[in-house]
Formats: sequence, structure tokens, C-alpha cells
Amino acid sequence: MSRGESQLASRLSMFVLVFLTLYAVFAFVAWRTLDQVRVKGPYYTEIMLGNELIADVLPPPQYIIESYLLTLQLIDERDPSEISRLIEEGNELRVTYEARQEYWKRALDDSTMKDLMTVTASRAAMEFFRIRDDVYIPAIRADDRVAARAALDQMRQRYEAHRYAIDEVWELAETRNADYEKRADALIGEQIRTLVILAIGVVLVVVVMAWFARRSAQSLSARVLLVSDVAGRVAQGDLTTEVPPSDAGDEAGRLLGAIGGMTQSLRGLVTRVKQASVELMSTATEFAATSRQQEATVQGFGASTNEIAAAVKQIAATSQELLATMEGLNAVSGQTADLAEAGQSGLSNLDSTMDRLAQAANAMSARLAAIREEAAEITGVVTTISKVADQTNLLSINAAIEAEKAGEQGLGFLVLAREIRRLADQTAVATLDIEQMVKQMQTAVSAGVMEIDRFAEEVRSGVGTVDRVGGQFGQIISQVKTLSERFDTVNHGMRSQSQGARQIGEAMGQLLDGARQTSVSLREFNAATEGLRDAVTVLKTEIAKFKLGND
Amino acid sequence: MLALTFRAGETPLAIDTQLVVEVLPRVTLQKAALAPEAVVGLLPFRGTLTPVVDLCWLVAGRSARGQLGTRIIVTQVDSGARYVGLLAEDVSELVDSRDTILGLNNLDHTWLGEHLADQPEMPMIVHPSELLPDALQRLFEANPP
Repeated sequence: MSRGESQLASRLSMFVLVFLTLYAVFAFVAWRTLDQVRVKGPYYTEIMLGNELIADVLPPPQYIIESYLLTLQLIDERDPSEISRLIEEGNELRVTYEARQEYWKRALDDSTMKDLMTVTASRAAMEFFRIRDDVYIPAIRADDRVAARAALDQMRQRYEAHRYAIDEVWELAETRNADYEKRADALIGEQIRTLVILAIGVVLVVVVMAWFARRSAQSLSARVLLVSDVAGRVAQGDLTTEVPPSDAGDEAGRLLGAIGGMTQSLRGLVTRVKQASVELMSTATEFAATSRQQEATVQGFGASTNEIAAAVKQIAATSQELLATMEGLNAVSGQTADLAEAGQSGLSNLDSTMDRLAQAANAMSARLAAIREEAAEITGVVTTISKVADQTNLLSINAAIEAEKAGEQGLGFLVLAREIRRLADQTAVATLDIEQMVKQMQTAVSAGVMEIDRFAEEVRSGVGTVDRVGGQFGQIISQVKTLSERFDTVNHGMRSQSQGARQIGEAMGQLLDGARQTSVSLREFNAATEGLRDAVTVLKTEIAKFKLGND
Repeated sequence: MLALTFRAGETPLAIDTQLVVEVLPRVTLQKAALAPEAVVGLLPFRGTLTPVVDLCWLVAGRSARGQLGTRIIVTQVDSGARYVGLLAEDVSELVDSRDTILGLNNLDHTWLGEHLADQPEMPMIVHPSELLPDALQRLFEANPP
């Protein structure tokens, strides 16, 4: 992992380093250039030196000192050829002055300096030239030295005025130059500062960029290494590797997720293939076993078919015998029908007897109910008698007590009271007996009623049974009647059966041929199953190379 | 002595007929409020409200059965000055007795006296004047005949 990280990160760092170096070189060169061409810098100084040299060695065209010197030279000159050369020179100087004057009028901005240069100084110069051309030169050509000196005097005054103005212009120009130099200096200083700030900013940005680049390179390479590791293990058949879920949505994260998904689905696929191969193996084994069984079955089938053919011949013989038996059976069923009819008529008599019995039972039941009512009435009478006896007993006791209190006089009454009490007691005992008897009678009646009810119920169910038996007899008779028709059908069936048995024998022969063919096919099928098993074994070995982790 | 015999629970009892005023069937009695449990009610008898004591309750700890033989024996106490009713079962026999013997007499039940010696079950003689507790005595004093 560290090797990959260093590769990517070091390459990035190298790029950053190269960039920084190049940038530093660029900044240095820019600074050097600026420094060299600045005002009062080396180049500037050289150029200025050249300008100053030119200004120092050449006569200034805008300063009419040379024209003035020429006029001074003319005053003492006698040689006419020298005079015309000097005049010619003076004319050239004037032309140069006017041309330069035109240039300065265009070049200068409107200012005091321009006024001085193009108006004040120019006017004095133009006066100077006009006097020279109109008065001085003609006087010289006429050799009128007096007039020439007067004109020269006037010209000197114009020259003085011109020189004064030019001096002022010079001063102003000096001041202006100094001012511009200062401004240029300041500008360049500012530019250098800006350059430095920009340089620092760029370096900072590059450093941050480098940091970010390094960080993303690290994470990227880590995940790429992880992915390559997983992919390597998958390639070797190890599917147990779990790819950690990545929360980063970038390309590496997606690659990681895709690899994880791929591993998982591969794992599922291999698991399924494994299961399928196991199932396939068992199926192939089953196939082999089944086909072997079938082979055996088919062989057995051939033998069975032969046996069946023999059996069918026997069936044909047996069905002939059966036909004879059926005829005997037909006669027996006719006798059965006669017997069943006799039974049915006997049952009809039994039915009417049962009805009478049920009626008698109902009558008996009603009478017993009447007896029960009578017994209840007797109980009521007995209760009344009991109460009367009790009352009599009470009266006799009170009478006896009163008689006792009466002493000798009540003695006879006491005897009487005693007798009455005895009678009352006897009555009570009698009523008790009656009550007992009535209770027994009631119990007996109740039992009788129950018995009779049960008897009636049995009679009723007997009647139902007799009816059912009668119905069954009817059914037997009708069925026996239809039996003879069936017998005919059976006879017919028996004949077709023996015919069918012959046909079955033929079909069996054909079946035997089919069985032989089936046996051959089964052998071929066996060979194919063996091939399938071999293929499945190879598949299993291949699949076993994959590690799945859950087994 | 002519004695009237009866029962309270399983115990055979008797009373001298000289003390008996009248034997009545079991009639509906007026409830005696705040009376002891043995007093089953008040009987209007000859112009007085006579208290009726359930002897079954006193002897056997249960109320008398509602049979025909269950009757009220109205007796006189304090020499006939007051009445007291006795609710008892099987009040139906009168016997002549000449001989009495003393039995085991509980001090708490002084109303039970001697046995009738010449009778098969030897019933104990009841003394109604000893029967009522003091609370009932006061009730009598409030209701003179």
C-alpha cells in the first residue's frame, strides 16, 4: 500500500515542486526586469546619459543662440562668398527652428511651458528672424555697417527676450522631469509590492492545492489498493472478502461498491451453482439407480408377460366352466324369489297383530293414569282425617287437664277424656297405615305406567321393523327377478372375455418386443447418466476452488 | 300425679298438669323484639301477652319442628299470677305417675327437676317458674295479667 501511495503522492509532490521552482524563477526574472528598467535604473541611466550627451554636443535648434552667433560673425565679415555661406547657414537654422517649433506646438500639452515655448519665446525669435531678414541682411549686402549695427542691436534685444523665456522653459522642464521620475519610481515600487503579494498568494494556493491533492491521492490509492486486493483474492477464488461500505460518492467509492456488489453476487452465484451441482449429482445418481431398476423391471416384465400369456389361456378355460355354473345359479335364484314372496305375506299378518297390541297398551296406560288420580284423592282425605285426629287428641288432653283440676268431681270426665284420646290415637295410627298403603300403590302405578310406556314404544318400533323387513323382502324379490337378466349379460360377457383373452395373448407378444427395445434404450441412457455424473464431478471440483466463508 | 309428657329434641320431658292452663296448637306468634333467642314470640292469651319459650332451643340448640305434635303448653307461674308458654314437640300423652327420683341436676338449668321413675323413658319434670332468665322476668313485670 505504501509503495502505491508514494508513487502517486510523490509524483504529485514533484509536480508541485517543479511548478514552485519555475514560478520562483519567473517572479525573480520579472522583479529583475522591473528593477533594471525602472527610472534611475541602469538602463534608464544609460539612455539619459546618451540624451544628455546629445543635448550637450549638439546646438539646440529651439535656442536661437547659433543664429545670433552667425549674425555676430556676419558683422565683421568682408569676404562676399563667406557672407553668402553664413546667410545660407542662417536661413537653414531658421527653417530648422520653424520645423521644430511646429513639432513642439503639436507635441506639448496646453500649459505655461507651452505658452512660454511656442508663444513668448517664439514671438521673440520670429521678431529676431524678421529683423535679420528684412533689415540686417540687406544692410550687410549693401555693406552699410552702421545700419547693420543698429539692426544687430535690435536683434540682440529680441535674443535676450528669447533667451529669458527659454531659461524659464528649461527650469519648468527640469521640474516636470523630476516630478515624472518620482511618480514612475512610486509606480514601480507599488508594482513590485503587488508582485510580492501575488507571489505569496500563489505559493499559498499551491501549497493548499498540494495538500488537497496529496490527501485525495492517499484516499484514492488506499481504496484502489483495497479494490485491487479484493479483486486479486476473487481471482484466486476467495469470495469470503467483505468489501467495507464506502460513504464517499466519488469514482473510487463507486468502484469499491461495484466490486463489493460483484463479489456478493458472485458469491451467491457460486453458492447456487454449488447447491445445484450437489442436487445435479444426486439427481444423476438417482437417474442411474432408477434406470438400473427399470432395466431389471423390464427384464422382469418380459418374464411376467410370458406368465400372463399362460394365465390368459387359463382364464379362457375357466370362463367356459363359469358359464356352466351360472346356469345352475339361475335356477337357485328362481327358488329364492318364491321363498321371499311367502315371507312377505307372513309379515303382513304380523303387522296387523302388532297394531292391536299397541292399541291395548295405550288403553292400559290411560287406566293406570286414572288410578293415580284416585290415589291422589285418597291422600287428600287421609290428610283431613289426620288433622281431625290431631285436633281430637288436643281436645282430650285439655279436657283431661281440666278434669284433673276438678279433682273428685272430674274423675268420670277424666276417664271419658282418656277414652277419647285413645280413639284419636287409634285413628291416627289407622290413617298412618292408609297413607303408607296409598304411597305404595302410587309407586306401583308409576312403575306400571313406565313399563306400559316402554312396552308401547317397543311395539311401535316393532311395527316399524316389520314394515322395513316387508320392504326388504319386496326389494329381494325384484332383485332376484332382475338377476336372471343379469345372468344373460354375464354369459355374453364371458364369451367376449375368452375372445379378449386371445387378443391379450397377441398383445403380450408385441409387448415383449417393446420390452427388449426398452432394455437397449435403457443401457444407452445409463451410459449418458455416467457421462453426466463425470461432468458434475468436474463442475464440483472447479466450484470447490471458490471459498465462500459460510461453509 | 297426672303429667303431660313431651320432647325437646331427643330429651323426654314432663310437666305436672296442675301447672298447665291449656294446650294450644302451634299458632303464629308475634315477634318479641330484642328478646333472648329462646323466646320465639308473644302469644295473646286471656287478655295478656304471654312469652313463649322454645324448649328445643334451650335443650337441643335448634328450633322446634313444624309438626302436628308440636304444640304450645300454656303454664302458670308465681302461683297462677302469670303465664308462660312452652313450645315443645310430641305433646300428645298424659301419664299417671306415683314415683319420682332425683336425677343429675345441672345448677345452670334449675328449671329441670326429678325424673318420673315409673315411666319407660323416665322423663324429667319441668319447673316453668325457674325457666325464664331475669330479663324475661322483667318482661313479665311489665305485663301483669
